[in-house]
Amino acid sequence: MIMSEKGKQHVDSCRFCWMCHHICPIGNATGQERNTARARALGISLVNREAIELDEIMDNIFECGCCGACVKECVTGWDPVMFTKETRLHAAMEDKLPDYINALVDNCLEKGNAYGITEIDAELKKAIAAHSAKTDLVLFLGADAIYKAPECAVKAIKVLEKAGVDFTVLENEPNSGAQLEYLISAANETKEVMNNCAKALNGFKTVVAYDPQDAKVLKREYKEWDIALTAEVKTFTSFVAGLLKDGALKAENNGKKVVYQDPFQLSRDLLETEEAREIINAYAVCEEMLCNRKDTMWAGNILMREWMADVMDKVALARIFNAKCVNADTIVTASVSEYVSLKSVESDVEILSIEDLILG
Amino acid sequence: MQYQMNEFLFAMILTELEDAVGKENCSTRAIDKVTHSVDYYWLSRMWADRGCRMPEADIVVCPENAQEVSKVLKIANYYKLPVTTWGAGGGTQGGAIPVCGGIILDTKRMNKIYEVNTDGMYIECGTGAIYKHIEWAANEVGKATMHYPSSLTCSTVGGFLAHRGIGVVSTKYGKIDDMVLKMEVVLPNGDIIETCSAPKHAAGPDLNQIFIGSEGTLGIITKAQIRIFDQPEERRFRGFLFQDMTGAFKASRELLQKFKPSVMRLYDEAETASLIKKIVGVERKGAFMNIAYEGVKEMVEVEEKILLETFAKYGAEDLGSEYGEKWWKEKITFFYPGHMMDIPQMFGTMDTIAPYGKIEEIYWAMKAAIEKEFPQAKFIAHFSHWYEWGAMVYDRFIIEGKDVPQDPVEALRLHQRVWTTGVRTAIAHGGVVNDHHGVGIKLGRLMKEQYGPAMQVFEGIKKQLDPNGIMNPFKLGL
Repeated sequence: MIMSEKGKQHVDSCRFCWMCHHICPIGNATGQERNTARARALGISLVNREAIELDEIMDNIFECGCCGACVKECVTGWDPVMFTKETRLHAAMEDKLPDYINALVDNCLEKGNAYGITEIDAELKKAIAAHSAKTDLVLFLGADAIYKAPECAVKAIKVLEKAGVDFTVLENEPNSGAQLEYLISAANETKEVMNNCAKALNGFKTVVAYDPQDAKVLKREYKEWDIALTAEVKTFTSFVAGLLKDGALKAENNGKKVVYQDPFQLSRDLLETEEAREIINAYAVCEEMLCNRKDTMWAGNILMREWMADVMDKVALARIFNAKCVNADTIVTASVSEYVSLKSVESDVEILSIEDLILG
Repeated sequence: MQYQMNEFLFAMILTELEDAVGKENCSTRAIDKVTHSVDYYWLSRMWADRGCRMPEADIVVCPENAQEVSKVLKIANYYKLPVTTWGAGGGTQGGAIPVCGGIILDTKRMNKIYEVNTDGMYIECGTGAIYKHIEWAANEVGKATMHYPSSLTCSTVGGFLAHRGIGVVSTKYGKIDDMVLKMEVVLPNGDIIETCSAPKHAAGPDLNQIFIGSEGTLGIITKAQIRIFDQPEERRFRGFLFQDMTGAFKASRELLQKFKPSVMRLYDEAETASLIKKIVGVERKGAFMNIAYEGVKEMVEVEEKILLETFAKYGAEDLGSEYGEKWWKEKITFFYPGHMMDIPQMFGTMDTIAPYGKIEEIYWAMKAAIEKEFPQAKFIAHFSHWYEWGAMVYDRFIIEGKDVPQDPVEALRLHQRVWTTGVRTAIAHGGVVNDHHGVGIKLGRLMKEQYGPAMQVFEGIKKQLDPNGIMNPFKLGL
């Protein structure tokens, strides 16, 4: 298998190590031994030793949310996400991706989003149109919000409107490349999509990324892969926390006790943990559940629902269980993807977004 | 009746198992079979490292509760299929490897925490729960399980019960077999039984202790009530340096007649100079010992005074609390790749236990036997679980990669010889075949040497409960 020397070293270190077994949100939800970092490493190592075919492990390679909990847990610094993504890249280059992944990749390249949706929700379209005029600041909604959670995108727009921010929303917002980065990592196709996105965003001084997954890619992978993005990228939560501090948003605290679901992209990848809490504490009372901040336990996403919706339900329910353990009846999210995931399952725990809190 | 498995019959059996546990919890996927064929056992790792496939199960099933386990065992008994129980695969003795194929029964879907009971001071959970998760559950109500092995995050409750595991604070709080109140067990014929409602009684032999340590050969433990404890008001550490281990043994024996520390770990000179130097930073010649004592603050004060007075009598140098605290912080770091021995090295832990009159002798005898027979091997040890009457020795051999045959069968032969030499020496000097890692396939052949005619007790129970011999064949010497 084509893999970096570093990747091979990490594979051979993780294949016989069980220490992060407890922390994988997918493994915890499914109870399947294959949903562990060591199982993935063992499979890859056996492919490298020609003891098993790549085809036989590919489904498992796409059963990882790449949330990085295992990476955070490892005291030695081994990185299962890295070799998982390298394997995806290799499979893409060798035309070994599962059909259901190929279809999503094709959609990204042909339709601009993994879901292949071409029509935008009417209400969202109207909300976007109201901000089509060019300003210095662009609100980047992201593919998940636009095509799978338009009501969330509308609320994000309303929050900035409420604060009196002068901003633009692109009527033909390009894909950030975040979906391809997840599916096929640093493939040429991913970089091409990212370059196109950078060109569209470079006319602005500031990009406020609503979806933490987009924020992570725009702030991290773009830099690592030399994508020429000159605009300053801010996360939605850090921007809104700034609006509160500046007094552009006036908050009234209702005293409601809630717990906050840290998106791993913010807490682990971008090291942002307190901004959302500042917002929540302005409108409610933020309490903590097990595994918070950098130790957060992922609550699922929208993209993986395309091929393992049942598992995403289990992942969401496992996180709701954590909330119930501290007697919380409301979870506040800052990730559109986790919001949708948590809302997708039946539960007596209320799921709110940061925008819900602000808009009341 | 002996029969040859064929494609038609296999497909029939598969549909029965799917009916029992649900199609999505029944797998013949290569990734599932491969994943359940390599555990922490060195030989399985070496085999995979050499690009060979370990023996694999034909079907992996993941039941959700005792009722589903019962259905699976009834099917397996009817078709006389081997059933190997798998927790999380963190075992070192190959106990979870399906050496005869058949069914792997993965317990991790049985991970429900049914009750956190702070009156009875226990958590009732499915045995597929990762132990760290029940520790979290205990922590959320201000309690603790006090079972902290290095494999806390990667082993299930059932896994620890199956091989009689132990944690680092065992001297005060006990071994896993001391931490169970009650269990639910599925017998090989599919009957679901419960052990007594209390672990101490006069209602005949202790059913709990028949199944704890049975490594899936007598039945499958599906639910357990696990003890929880109050968090200590205070936990203090003290590091000591002994010039020789004899003094450390005498000091420790005397200390244990007075009170029970939580952590007691004595490292021989070789391990002090290697692992302890690397992880904890003690750069001194001698035998390092770390003691932790904890509980109610006033008691801890008194215990500290007794500890210092007792150890001073035996010439121990007081190193203060710094190294002990560092050790506590890093207690699991030792076991991460990059810190722990790993392939291409060959290594193993031949832990054994004996009364004080024998344990030091066992250590020296094992060291001499290994170093004489296998000059390429390094021998290091520490003593980490202590009782009023004796202690265990966690002795390890390490052979550097350059001295390990590349041919997998030759490597297996060398591995077997080292183990046989070490454990036979331990038994000959009054030790036990294993202290807390279990027996598995690794040490099964030595069980008869350990027990002699007493082995018929185990064999009789096995024959009665599992007449078809389907449960984890060739493990535990049964």
